[in-house]
Amino acid sequence: MIKFEDVTKIYPPSTVGLERVSLHIEKGEFVFLVGPSGSGKSTFIRLLIREIEQDRGRIIVGGRDLDTLRSWKIPYLRRNIGCVFQDFKLLTNKTAFENVMYALVVTGNATGASKKKAAEILALVGLGHKSDSYPNELSGGEQQRVSIARAFVNHPPLLIADEPTGNLDPDTSMGIMQLLYRINKTGTTVLMATHDREMVDRMRRRVIALDNGKVVRDQKRGGYGED
Amino acid sequence: MGRISFFLKEAFGSLRRNYFMTIAALVTVFLSIVVLGGVLVFVFTTDALLKEVEEKVEITVYLKTDPDPTAEEVAIMQDQITSWPEVKSSSYITKEQALQRLKEDYADSPEIFESLTSNPLPASFEIALVDPQTVDIVAARFEGDSIVDEVRYGKEIADKLFAFTDQARNFMLIFIVLLGIVAILLISNTIRLSIFARKREVEIMKLVGATNWFIRWPFLIEGITVGFLGALVATAVVLGLNHYLVGTVSDNLAFLAMPLDAVPYVLVTVILLAVGVVIGAAGSAIGLRRFLKV
Repeated sequence: MIKFEDVTKIYPPSTVGLERVSLHIEKGEFVFLVGPSGSGKSTFIRLLIREIEQDRGRIIVGGRDLDTLRSWKIPYLRRNIGCVFQDFKLLTNKTAFENVMYALVVTGNATGASKKKAAEILALVGLGHKSDSYPNELSGGEQQRVSIARAFVNHPPLLIADEPTGNLDPDTSMGIMQLLYRINKTGTTVLMATHDREMVDRMRRRVIALDNGKVVRDQKRGGYGED
Repeated sequence: MGRISFFLKEAFGSLRRNYFMTIAALVTVFLSIVVLGGVLVFVFTTDALLKEVEEKVEITVYLKTDPDPTAEEVAIMQDQITSWPEVKSSSYITKEQALQRLKEDYADSPEIFESLTSNPLPASFEIALVDPQTVDIVAARFEGDSIVDEVRYGKEIADKLFAFTDQARNFMLIFIVLLGIVAILLISNTIRLSIFARKREVEIMKLVGATNWFIRWPFLIEGITVGFLGALVATAVVLGLNHYLVGTVSDNLAFLAMPLDAVPYVLVTVILLAVGVVIGAAGSAIGLRRFLKV
């Protein structure tokens, strides 16, 4: 699903984003990306969705070499990657339903079927009754569930979550985690960057630890810290 | 179809939502178009005035007096003059008519003419031209003619007038172009501000996988709408004001012979609306450009 080969990213003038990172994430895996702030987690994610480009090395996502990806094709890459962020990134002027619909309309799918799909996915994340609410009328956990619904409505093969529980209390976080877990069960690869030690320790999934832009640990069923 | 209605909904929704920015952009377009329209109206009006002045440039051909030309010679010349395409109209002024005119001019002091035993004034042709700029060419044709004494067309006055009108037109043209550039800069800046305020929105659209054109269309529709509406109001104000002013001027300054239909209303309206739409769209496109990268 994801393949990094000797990838280096330097932010001018000389801040190291990632340094010689090589790793391979299989289809259907659930992977935690851990590490302190500035360790390279965000750089990793931004490279994956081609927000930035690496200086050296190769990145292959879903069989596509991002280096040779034409810029007009980037939107199509992103439609195959669902993204969930710490700050939810919802369009504040649209209802929960419209936010989910937006991801469908963008792909040219504004039919009756897609409306049904959007309603279904909102029900799936437990927000069927709040589909007409605007983001500022929803709690943090609810907003995050809308954003997950939006990320998953196209059934992308890859879902990236950047600190999705960073702003949420432990109980709400647990709900979000369960949601991501269920999404993973459908065969979608899930990559989650997080600071949430307890969560990582509880889930016992693959853990990739970054520090100073380097992979310092890659463990099949790891915890947040060294075992 | 679904797409277009989606874009329209998006565009008008955000115009309403960001009403403060909408108003700011509208005012900018309005002011720019008012100034542009004012200049246009001024150009058309002065142009019409200048044309009127230019039309007063005519050629007077004085015929020899000693001896006076025969009626036949006069008739030949008359035919010749009317056959030239440059000539709009011409009239033959006989010696008697010339004297009559002079007497009218000096009606206050008829004693001047008491000592006259014969009529010393020459007969003449007065020629009006289609294009006053051809005055040199037409005048030159009389040179060396056996019955012509002198050709007068106020050469210096004509030359000066033409030099002035040409220059005035050029200046106005440059002014209009500069003004257009300033308007576009001003509007693209305003729109850039409004887009900057919605940077987050654009960022999210990109993250969800919207293509650049998908993001651009609603913004373009917004820009075009703002440009059109701003220009519409501005056009109404400019033309209304022009109508009122022309009326007042021609009432109070009758001697100016203000050309009432100097400003082609339809043309000016079309130009101003088109400019409004173009700067609205261009402003959006330019303003959006840097946010669409990556």
